[in-house]
Amino acid sequence: MKVSGKKDLQILKEKGLASLFPDKTRIMVGMATCCISKGADKVMTGIKEEVKKRGFKANVVPVGCTGLCYKEPTVEVIQPGKPKITYGDITPERVPQLIEAVGKGGVKKEWALYQTEREDLLLDGGYHAYCSKGAAKELKALPKHSEIPFLKKQRKIILRNSGLINPENIEEYAARGGYSSLLKAVTQMKPQELIDEVTKAGLRGRSGGGFPAGIKWLSCSRAEGKVKYIICNISEGDPGIGMHKSLVESDPHSILEGMIIAAYAIGAKEGYIYISSGYSLGLQRMEKAVKDARTCGFLGKNILKSGFDFTVRVKEGGGAYVCGEETALIKAIEGDWGEPRQRPPFPAVSGLWGKPTVINNVETLANVPLIVSKGAKWYSSIGSDKSKGTKVFSLIGEVNRAGLIEVPLGITLKEIIYDIGGGIPKGKSFKAVQMGGTAGGCIPKSLSNLSVDYETLAQAGSAMSSGGLIIMDEKTCMVDVVKYFLSFLEGESCGKCTPCRVGVRRMREVLTDISKGKGKKEDLELLEKMAKLIKEGALCNLGKTAPNPFLSTLRYFRDEYLAHIQRKKCPAGVCTS
Amino acid sequence: MESLNRSVIDGILKKHGNDAGLLISILRDVQGECGYLPREALEYVSQKLNVPLSKIFCIATFYSSFSLEPRGKNMVSVCSGTACHVRHGDDIANKLTRELKLSADKRTSPDRAFTLEKVRCMGCCSVAPAVRVNEDTYGQVTQDAINGILKKYRKT
Amino acid sequence: MTVRPMVTLRINGKEVKVPKGTTVLEAARKLDISIPTLCYHEALTPYGGCRLCVVEVTRDGASSIASSCSYEVAEGLEVKTETDTVLEIRKFVVELLLAEAPEAKVLKDLAQELGIKPSKRFKPRNELCIACGQCIRACKEIVGVSAIDFAKRGYEKIAASPFFERSPDCIGCGTCYNICPTGAITLKDIAEGEKAVLPDGSEITGPARIIDNWKVGLEMKRCKQCGEPFAPQFQLEYFSKKVNLPEDFFEVCVECRVL
Repeated sequence: MKVSGKKDLQILKEKGLASLFPDKTRIMVGMATCCISKGADKVMTGIKEEVKKRGFKANVVPVGCTGLCYKEPTVEVIQPGKPKITYGDITPERVPQLIEAVGKGGVKKEWALYQTEREDLLLDGGYHAYCSKGAAKELKALPKHSEIPFLKKQRKIILRNSGLINPENIEEYAARGGYSSLLKAVTQMKPQELIDEVTKAGLRGRSGGGFPAGIKWLSCSRAEGKVKYIICNISEGDPGIGMHKSLVESDPHSILEGMIIAAYAIGAKEGYIYISSGYSLGLQRMEKAVKDARTCGFLGKNILKSGFDFTVRVKEGGGAYVCGEETALIKAIEGDWGEPRQRPPFPAVSGLWGKPTVINNVETLANVPLIVSKGAKWYSSIGSDKSKGTKVFSLIGEVNRAGLIEVPLGITLKEIIYDIGGGIPKGKSFKAVQMGGTAGGCIPKSLSNLSVDYETLAQAGSAMSSGGLIIMDEKTCMVDVVKYFLSFLEGESCGKCTPCRVGVRRMREVLTDISKGKGKKEDLELLEKMAKLIKEGALCNLGKTAPNPFLSTLRYFRDEYLAHIQRKKCPAGVCTS
Repeated sequence: MESLNRSVIDGILKKHGNDAGLLISILRDVQGECGYLPREALEYVSQKLNVPLSKIFCIATFYSSFSLEPRGKNMVSVCSGTACHVRHGDDIANKLTRELKLSADKRTSPDRAFTLEKVRCMGCCSVAPAVRVNEDTYGQVTQDAINGILKKYRKT
Repeated sequence: MTVRPMVTLRINGKEVKVPKGTTVLEAARKLDISIPTLCYHEALTPYGGCRLCVVEVTRDGASSIASSCSYEVAEGLEVKTETDTVLEIRKFVVELLLAEAPEAKVLKDLAQELGIKPSKRFKPRNELCIACGQCIRACKEIVGVSAIDFAKRGYEKIAASPFFERSPDCIGCGTCYNICPTGAITLKDIAEGEKAVLPDGSEITGPARIIDNWKVGLEMKRCKQCGEPFAPQFQLEYFSKKVNLPEDFFEVCVECRVL
């Protein structure tokens, strides 16, 4: 349906609410890529068959990532008048028994993780009560949503809809306040007001150095020229990190809405959503979101009768990590190889086809509807002094509860690893956490009291980057990890500048020698010198940050390097000569 | 090149408005049709779009999703992301290389049944190590499970 | 003709006024300040890849390292062309490239100039192409043929003909061969009657021009007047298609036409 204003949006919202909270059973199956890799698609098919077989009325719906990856496949059941029950480890084999219990109006206690009495709708301040207060007491033994250690310290505002809505249903998105921020922005606010609000909120770019988004927008909006562009950067690419992928697969509209608002703020009429290759489910869901948004009139001409026109094109990359870098990304969209260039000029002034362009990371944009609806004051009350808001992380590796989490910035690593993550599995000891992917660094156990924000991480030799948190145990060799990262970067270097093209390759060669017990005693000094000169001499951030993992592991695990070089031994038992 | 193929490529070019700026999308569609980027197809695209062949080759060899070699019937992607690496994803890749009789240069099995590629991250970090065959993703793959997985696709 | 506004900046403490759009490298040359370069050529658009021409620029109080060949001047810019960091980076670049192409004269000369010796730690690669892109840019911007471009990425990045096979568009002008700073391109003219076998197995008889890198062998046209081979036949066919001149215009060599 076409949405022209408040009334229409309300109708869309109500359709969505009826879908989200129907007066029959609603069964939701987590269907993001990693859920599917654990058999969620078979679970979904199985549930549909069982429901049909038993002949009871139920909507079986795919939802995005619930974040409880350690318990996937997850299934949630809403039965009218009863608390929502979240189930975990529902393999295809367990489906018949689960549906038998659900069909009888009951709960399969053995596999139930927790119950939820009410769902906050967040954006418009409302909530939906699944059941009457106190109904949860019937299932006394089953913990409440607010009591789950994995969830207690999280704050899901970017992931507000992930795992709750069908990502391909725009009505369900609207039900939870979706597109109300866009309505407010284009009908009640002027572009400059929006820029001011985002600046006041303290929103920092979520893909690297954390550059203030408001300043970037201001710079672009003030730049000369009528034609401006906005690009949503979804080219995560860091090996082993899937937050952005999860976000796109779970709530593509939140990204799109943020992007449309940003376009309005800077005066862009055209935008590009760049998704790196290999994200087929995310691409599919984003394309559907764009199509539906167009149908509803959130994209196109005279959006919500505001006079603002904006169209978006989804572009799939060809497969190059360097295209995550702004200037290389521009080249890729222009149809060329991902060639970075020197800055200035900055893309905000001269970007896509020489026009002022704002390039925002997907997570940055997902924050925008929140800031518009809830205000800068609310947003800046979350997080730490200089790092406002929350951050989505992929908590993976040697941790009991691996998953997609969202925490307020300023939380300590200890809290993430132990309170949320449940600590290290039995028999293993915590060694370090790798943060910031290939541009970041390792933080050793001794620094686990560190708070997670841009400045503290940088000081410790790591980085926020796109948000990977890889927990490593004593069986991880830091020399091997660095060799792995350098090999990755070596393969992804675009090849334009000498320090990266040749320097990273030669660094990796020396690291390989060290890992094979062929290191020479001057190697550490050589590597340190190379690291410094690559950082200073490389053209773009791929090269400039390439030495970071080496520098951080050298800082905290120098002994390991020395063991490899002097004693030809790998303490973790990983490297073989 | 057969005239049938040419008209397919004409269709792809038309879909993208014969816009050289959409070269990457065009090459992706050509690869989708042909399974890889045949030389003749690239020569034809160069001619029709008036883009130098050298530029097309530059782009085809820059981006990792493009293949200039014919691929096997089934595409096996091993995740070489960090979590998978730490969980010994390399061993999985090595086992697959051995089973499929591949080498550093030969990425397609002699019987043309499988092509192996290492991908950077499939987003399945919590179920590392992960392997994808065509559209199917397998998590927590062990070396022992590999033959079973391959067998499934040999049958079809 | 629009007159560009003038910009005042300082390089190594010396003030210079240049039109907006001038690069720091060009401005430095106006002051006779020499900055070494490898991928730069006055006749081509700057690439900014080799990172040899780096300088320290300070703008609005913030300093950074930049390739001077591709950094546009700004009012009040402060440039230092020989800080310790700048020199360290230049030495690093040459050291790395020397391990790539130890026999390249330009690199040996630079090494001597900067006072560095070849690294003992890096095994020499012996690949003369240092991916500076001058040949590619020249073929595109000056000759307008784009017979070659970069292939691959990262360490393997190299100037190449399509499919690493015979370039179908090369007109054998030799601009790439003349412009290459390391001598990575081999061009040979074989005499009348001399035979050569090209990489694709085909045989070619002189007078002909052979460019190994692009697997090209082009028969030369002999001047109708003096009888000397003066240009590849294919090149002349290309020109006659491009410019609207009668066919017989290209029968005679430049000297004979002029004289």
